[in-house]
Formats: sequence, C-alpha cells, structure tokens
Amino acid sequence: MIISSRILGHYIDLPAELEQLVHTLTFSGIEVEAIKEIPELPPTVISARIISTEPVPDSNHLTKCMVDHGGPEPIQVVCGAPNCREGLVSALALPGTKLGDFTIKPTKLRGVESFGMLASEREMGISDNHAGIVEFAADTPVGISVNELYELPDAILELEITPNRPDLLGYVGIARDLSASLNLPLKEPVIQKLEGEKQCDMGLKLVVEDPEKCLRYTARLMEGVTVKESPQWLKTALIKSGLRPINNIVDVTNFVMFELGQPLHAFNYEKLRPLSLQDVQPAIVVRKARAGEKFEALDGKSLELDEADLVIADGQEASALAGVIGGMASSIDENTHRIVLESACFQSTTVRASSTKHKVSTDSSYRFERQLSPFAAETVSHRAVELILETAGGKLCGDLYDAFEQVPEPLRLTLRPQRFEELIGYRLSPQEITRYLEALDCKLVQENPDGMVFQIPHRRVDLTREADLLEELARLAGYDRIPSRTSISGIMDRHAFKNRRKIEDWFVQAAFHEALNFSFSDPAQYEALGLSTADVQDRLLKLVNPQSSNQSVMRISLLPQLLENLRHNLHHGERDLKLMEIGKIYCNVKGKIEEKLVLTAVMTGKAQAEHWLQKSEAVGLWYVKGLVEGLLQSMGLPITETKEHSQPWLAPGDNLAWLNNGRICASFGRLKTQTAENFDIDLGILKQEIWVLELDIDLIAELTRDRETVFRDLPRYPAVTRDLSFVIQTSVPYSQIREAIQAVAPELISEVQIFDQYLGESIPQGFRSVSLRLKLLDREKTLTDERVDELLASVREMLSRTWQIKMR
Amino acid sequence: MQDQLREAARQAQTAIAACQTNNDILNARAQFLGKKSLVNSLYSKLKDLPDAEKPAFGQLINDLRSELEKLLAQREKELKEQQRLQQDASKAQDLSLPGIMPGRGSLHPLTVVRREIEDIFMAMGFEIAEGPDIEDEFHNFDALNTPQDHPSRNLADTFYLENGLLLRTQTSTVQVRTMESFAPPIRIISPGRCYRNDKPDPSHSPVFHQVEALAVDKHLSMADLKDTLQNFARLMFGAGMKSRIRPHFFPFTEPSAEMDISCVSCGGHGCRICKNSGWLELGGAGMVDPAVLKTLGIDPEIWSGFALGMGIERIAMLKYNIPDMRILFENDVRALRQFSGESL
Ligand SMILES: [Zn+2]
Repeated sequence: MIISSRILGHYIDLPAELEQLVHTLTFSGIEVEAIKEIPELPPTVISARIISTEPVPDSNHLTKCMVDHGGPEPIQVVCGAPNCREGLVSALALPGTKLGDFTIKPTKLRGVESFGMLASEREMGISDNHAGIVEFAADTPVGISVNELYELPDAILELEITPNRPDLLGYVGIARDLSASLNLPLKEPVIQKLEGEKQCDMGLKLVVEDPEKCLRYTARLMEGVTVKESPQWLKTALIKSGLRPINNIVDVTNFVMFELGQPLHAFNYEKLRPLSLQDVQPAIVVRKARAGEKFEALDGKSLELDEADLVIADGQEASALAGVIGGMASSIDENTHRIVLESACFQSTTVRASSTKHKVSTDSSYRFERQLSPFAAETVSHRAVELILETAGGKLCGDLYDAFEQVPEPLRLTLRPQRFEELIGYRLSPQEITRYLEALDCKLVQENPDGMVFQIPHRRVDLTREADLLEELARLAGYDRIPSRTSISGIMDRHAFKNRRKIEDWFVQAAFHEALNFSFSDPAQYEALGLSTADVQDRLLKLVNPQSSNQSVMRISLLPQLLENLRHNLHHGERDLKLMEIGKIYCNVKGKIEEKLVLTAVMTGKAQAEHWLQKSEAVGLWYVKGLVEGLLQSMGLPITETKEHSQPWLAPGDNLAWLNNGRICASFGRLKTQTAENFDIDLGILKQEIWVLELDIDLIAELTRDRETVFRDLPRYPAVTRDLSFVIQTSVPYSQIREAIQAVAPELISEVQIFDQYLGESIPQGFRSVSLRLKLLDREKTLTDERVDELLASVREMLSRTWQIKMR
Repeated sequence: MQDQLREAARQAQTAIAACQTNNDILNARAQFLGKKSLVNSLYSKLKDLPDAEKPAFGQLINDLRSELEKLLAQREKELKEQQRLQQDASKAQDLSLPGIMPGRGSLHPLTVVRREIEDIFMAMGFEIAEGPDIEDEFHNFDALNTPQDHPSRNLADTFYLENGLLLRTQTSTVQVRTMESFAPPIRIISPGRCYRNDKPDPSHSPVFHQVEALAVDKHLSMADLKDTLQNFARLMFGAGMKSRIRPHFFPFTEPSAEMDISCVSCGGHGCRICKNSGWLELGGAGMVDPAVLKTLGIDPEIWSGFALGMGIERIAMLKYNIPDMRILFENDVRALRQFSGESL
C-alpha cells in the first residue's frame, strides 16, 4: 500500500524525522518496504496559467505560450507537451531553477524564445508521470509555490499490510495505530450522517441475493451533482497515494477508500435499468454472475464471468464485478447528474478468486481480499456523501439503503495483566495496558479479579482471543522493551573455540591421531632436547609435591611426551606414525605465569597409507611444509616473514618458521638423529626420519580474529594461462621470483605457480631451470592475445634485467 | 512393379540389419539409395506407367526411400552406441583388492567426548568459559566455601607449586572467575584439566578432565537442574536414558546432590558394572550456596543458580566401554585408531 507521509500527517502529528516514523511503523509490525523522498522544490517553481497558445512554426509538437505567473507581465514559454492548452493552470519553473541536475535557462527553440519551463510531475520528482505538463485544478491561483500545492517535501512510503490487519488499509487506520504506539492523539475526521431530502423522485430497488458473499450492501442516492475535475487538495492526495485523478465523484470514492480503508463505488443512476418493464425504479441486484455473462469493465477489458463471480447488476446485466472493478456502462461521466453511491462489504475469498481469475487487480480488490469488517460501510458512505456534496454539489435523496440486519454485540475479551508478564517477559501496568488498548478503541468495560474486560471494536476482526490482545500490547509497547533473558552474554570466546576445532579437524583430516599427555614433565627431558639447564631453569614451574621426579615440573613443551609416545608405538611395531597434541604449556615468564595453548605434531614413516597400486612417499620436507602452508593459507593467517627455525633438537637446514611481526605462528623441522637417540629411538636402524611441527594456537586465534571470508564476484572473462621456463641462479629464492613477476602487473597476473624445477647435466653449476605457469586475468575485459604477449614480454624483460636470466 | 518394390524393401531391410561397421552402412546406403540403386532404378520405370498410376507409385517409392533412410540412420546410431559401450568396457579387475582410502586420523576419545558435551550444552544455551589450570587458593577453595581445615586442601590431595599457587582440583574455579567478571544471568560450562594427587589406577588419574555447568538466573530451581541433567543424559547417551539426583554434600552447593544415570551397560536391569543397582554415578550437582553467590557480589535474594560437574574420562569410559583410565593417557595408536569414526 502506498501512502504519503504528509497526508498521514493530517491525521496525527508525525515525528519530525522520517527515520523515526519508519522505525515506529516497523516496530509496530507495519513493514516499510520502500521509501521515496520527494524533495522540496525551489521557490521559483510556481503555478501559472496559460493565457494564449500558438504553434511554433516548423515544429509539429512545440507550442508557444503566453503564461500568467502572477507577475506584472505574462512571460513567453515554449512547451512540447501534448496537453499544453489555453486556460490550463500548470507548474512553471522560472529561469535559474534547478530541477534535479538540470538548470532552466532562457533559451531559443526553433527560433522562438522561451523564458521558463512548464513541467511534468516527473520533472519535478513528484511521480513517474511524464505524459504531459501538470494540470492543476482550474481555480488554482497563479504565482503560488508548487510546494504548497503538492505539500512538499514529502516521503512516499510503500507499506506491507499483513493479511490479519484489514483495519490498517487506510490513512486513519495507520494513524490510529501510530497514536497508540506514539501516545499521541488521533485526528480522526468527524463523520456525521446527513439526512436526505424526504421528497425525492429517485428510488431504488435493492436486492441482495447472496448474503454469504455480500456481507453488507448500502446505497445512497444523490441528484444534481456536477461532475468535473477535483479540487487541488483531492488531486494531490490521489496522486501521492498512487492514483490518477479522474473526476470529482470517482476521486472522492477513491480518496475515502484511501482514508478509511474501505473501497466504494459510484454508479450512474440513469444507466441502471429496472428489474422488469412494470417496474419504474431502477434496480441493484447483488447476485452470482450467470455462466458466460459478459461484462465490460472500466479498464476496457471484456470479461466472461461464471457463477463463482459475484456481481452488482442492474435489472438486466452486471454493472460491476463485486469489490474488484466497476463497469463501463454505468460509469460516471460529465453528463451524469444522478448517482448511486455503493458502500458495501464482500467476502474476501470471492473477491480474491475473481481478481485472480480475471487478472484484474485494483486498489479495491487489494483491500477486499483481506476480510473487511461490514460495520464500517455506513460511516464510509457518510464520509463520501459529505465530500461529494462539497466537491460536486447536488443533494441527497432519502435515507441509506442498507441490507444489513444482525448487529451483534461487540466482542468482549478478558485480559490478565500477569499473563502479559508471563508470556512477553516484562510487566506492563494496568494503566499502560488501558492506554494502549483504548487508543485502538478497545474500551475497558470492566475490571475484576479475573482480569480486565475490553470491548473490541468491530473493525478489529483479528482480535478474538486474549493472546491477540497480548500480542497487540507487546507490539505497541515495542519489542525492544522485551528484556533479553538469554545467557549469551559474550563470556565465550567463540572465535578461539572455533579456531581450535578447525585446527584439530585439519590434522585429523591429514590422518593424524590426537594424543593427550599429562601436564607434568621431567626436567631431564629438556636436556634430552638439547636445551641447557640454565636455559630452562627459570622458565620451569616446579611442583611442591610431585608424585615422582619425572613428573616434577609443569611442561614447557609438548615435544618430549610426544617423542615418548612415538617410542612407545614404534616398540609395538607401528612404523608409520603421525601424532599431534593440542594442549597447554606452562611457563614462568619473569615471575608471571603464562599458560599457552599450542599444538605439536610428530611424524615418521609414510606420509600416506601404503597401497598396492601406488607407493607412498615418506614424510619429508615438502609434505610437512605443505601441511603448514595449507593450514595457514586456509585460515588466512597474515604472515609477514619466514625464516630459519634453529632449535637444538632440529637438524640444520631442513627447518622453517612462519612469523607475524616477529612472533612465531608456526614452525617445522627434522629431528636430529642425536635427539631421537636421547629419547631411545634409533633412526639408523629404523631408516626413517622424524619431523616435528609446532603451532601457536593462541596466536593464530588472535591473528585471525577479524578475518572474514568475503565473496568476490566471479570474473566474467576467462583466465589465460601461459608457461614460462628459464634458467636462473639457485641463489635466487623462488618466492622472490614469484613476487617480482606478480609485481609486474598485480591486477592482471592472478597466480604464479611453479610446476617444474630441474638441476642437471645441461644446467651450469649454481643455476637451475624453473618452469612457471602464469594465470592472467582481467576482471574488466577480455584479455587480447596482444595484451598477453605484451605482458609476458615485460615479465621477461624484468627477469633478464633483474637476474640476467636466459629464457628457454 | 509392386512386387519389385516389396522385394527391394525386404532386401534392403535385411542388409541394413546385417551392417556391422560404419563401412557397411556406407555400402548399404550406396547400394539401396545411391545413383545406381534399385530404388533409383524404380524411378526410371515410372514413365512406363499409365498416367493415372504415376502419382500413387511415385509416392510409394518416396515412402520406401525415406523408410530406408530411417533404418540406416537407426542402425548407424545402434552401431555407434555399441562402439561406445565397448570403449567403456572394464578391463577385468579383482574387485576384492582394497581401494585407495584417504588417510584416517582420529581425535582423542576425551576430545570427542568433550566436544559432544560442549555441543549439547551450547544447544541448551550455555556458553563455554575457560580459565587457568594454575590457580590460587581463593578461586579453588575459599570462594567455594571450603573450610580452611578441609582435607582437600592438603598436599596429599592437591598439587602445589613452589610459588604458592596450586593446580586446580576442579573447574569450579572458572565459575568463580565468571561470576566475578560477569553479571547474571549466566549460563556457562567450563571444560578443562584438573589435578588431584591420586595415584594412577583403573579409575584414577592425577591429571583428568572435567566439565562443570553453572546457571545463575532469576527463578532457577532444583527443577531446572533436574531438567538440564535429564536433557544432557538423553542427548549424550540416548533417548531411553534415565537420570536421578540423590542427596549428598558439597561445600559450595546447598542443597547438594549426586547425579546418576541409568547403567549404560545393562540399561538399568542390574549388572556387574553398576553393582546390580541399575544406576551409574555421573557427578555432583546442587543449588549454588547463597554464601558463594554473596562472596562473588551476587544478591542471593534476586538470583539463584545451579551447578553440576562431571568427569570426562568417566563418561568416555562408560560410553566406549574403556576398562582402565590409564589407557586414555598412553596414546597407543592401536587404541586411538579405534576412534577415527568418532572424529568425522
Ligand atoms: Zn548395569
């Protein structure tokens, strides 16, 4: 549903900020699906009357107009709109006016001077209508700011009204709801029943054949009305609610629909026929359509009806498809003087079925498809009568025709305030409860020990149980008042928790078995690792009452116990072993106790399970390095440098550490034969290597805390791959080569990968041959062969300039 | 003429059906539809027919022609499919040989159980809180209402460090630390390592793992404790699992209880493992003693809480039927490997 916030403001004082209004609507359950702000126009956009026109020579659409804008002299304007005509009051933008990005200047069109622009609604940002220049009501004075005529600035809101709330289908309904949630008075229009002339020669025979599908039908007769254009306020209200003005009678019915939420329809009385020749009075019959009955709708479509459709017929044929659309034959035009005003209530399912079947969707069917309350029909009729008399004159004939008999007592519901607290989670005082509900016209009629008894207005068809009232209160008081009682309080470090699990899983997937060892250790083991007593003495935390001397200190490394685990398993004949432990180490750091979560893994034997078809490689340098690299890469760890990880237990050369700003995140290396022997493992006999890998879990968690996977749009152009082989000094590290190549065109070279390395007979001493695969990708356009060749040429040029390499 | 036509059709059909190669198809097409084919020769005979019969016979030849085209195309497709099938045919394999399996690692059974407990409690709205293993006496004893002369403070029960600190004997220390830093409502579990000076034997270990749960909120009662325990038992051990609490004594809860679950071995009928009682002891529980709450600055008039704790080793041993706690710290891959299915 489209509403204008300025028009809504006629019915309630709105918050100063649009944002506040949208927030209030949203949190009272009325979703704002779209907001279109119409800015204020410059003061130089004013109403002006075209006092004379003449065609511009050599043009088939331009008109030269003299325009009266209230100044001392009329001004000359050239206009291209088809509806540009003498007498029309339109919107004139004077020279110097900025409309959007466009500034109006005195100009010449086909040699004719123009000192301004007559504007369309679209040009002024009011609507999408660009069919012609604006047509203000003929009695609009000239020289008035268009802001005033259109009530600008404004914000047009598209609201989603949930099916259970038919009472919200009009400005007054929305305003009533806001008055409850904002605690502000509702400025409801005062609607009175006007008495019709007793002496009147109009009459009507009203027959409702199907009261199940037509819950209520009222009709009112009026004569002597003058059908003409609507006054400006009415035109403005319709345009901003999404409808085009037609004439005063039709516009009033539409306006009252927007205002009060219930559609109405006006018939041309003179076109309605009696039931039979004997009858004098025209008839309105609410009946099922006859199978195959033809109906020409107001929008020009010819429909073939069936018995599931409900029609409003005269004595002969269908004059309207009930609740959906009126008929051409009985429509109101400027020759109409006598009208029948229908205000009725139809069954929602019937209207929905007809609207769907005939593919006709109107503001009327949108509303009737939600079950409206039949009680509103009479008030709605009175409101329309009042406005028709005001805009079209004429007089009212006789009383309201109303085929509605049973007026059941309004429903009464008992509400227990403590139930609100139980269900919603906080206390609302009986005073507050009364205020909220009475703002919705639910009157407190009784208060007793069982609870508060409220009388529900007929329009609130959705309020039938205590639970509905509780929901209503929770909604109006605002869900943000509901206290959060969940315990999720930020105690848990979810990132660290997930980080640990990810790393555990990574190693399980790489076929590691997790080990768990005691937190105690034997100080002698650190010597076995090659650490001097002096090195570790200060860091060790000693137990006062250890169970044995080899459990006398808290561990400062997981490695010794894992090496013992290796020995244990090797003794049991297991040869291929991959063990890891995630656990705390405990250090005394200058008097402060540091508990740190780390991972240590030890590996020996085959990297993968042996298979009869393919021989498995032994765990070695590239396997262990890949294990760490894969993990660091998947976790997106920011590594600032890598360097040698020299430790007394690691063989020189075969080791590496990954660092972030000087702190070691991960490291690996090959265990020295001597260290293995210190732990009773004879690598000579085993003919196996032992590799060690260590991760700082706490540090990794810290460094990845803010990392998020952000999806990047897939490239729209295919990548191109090119291979590059050359001989280069072995002293130049691969990483340096890769970075240098990538730096040639970082936005185009998306990947550099080595796929071969060769050191052999044909290669001179101190050199190696490397083969690289470059993936080239331009996210903006297709890479042409020329561009690729150029790129490769600059890569080659760079390589030979930097390292004097020869291409192969 | 009609006979000739019929004969030509019969011959062609047989020949097409007999085609075995693409070459055969080409030959057959030349033979029956080519320039010098029978079908073509029939066209030349058209002129000999009376004018009245020409259109009908002409139509018959055309029909024959398209019929043969169709048959040829169909046969060609059949042959192609046959060839494809031959390409796909397997070289006879001994399918009893093992396939190439991705490596299988395993989480330690204590990790498996710890994770499962964490997941169950997280689903019940608890958060996970952790704290240091090395603690002071306040967090491990004083704040938990342990009398100064309580035997658990002895060197025979608790490990002390030379700097005067101790190794926590339970993860209740984390509850204390959480209540110190966070205002209620609180719902946490604290899994972690604990230390007690017990000699290793089948059911004791100086280093062991515990999970404790703590809930502090308005209106919490023993009923919530029972409910939490029952939910945990069912989710951890299976739908039919029963649980109960029995009166007991702990310094930091009032009332205190011991938690039992139905025997996982006999299902409650009674067996050796449950000493014929049908019940197995799971751990301790109770309503947090108001004195504990007060010590930590929480008003016991407004807030109440329950706590429960259990040993992860015990649950792992019950769940997997592990006879000796010491096995859990041996890290023998023959044992660890058995849990690879639990780590998927
Ligand atoms: Zn049993």
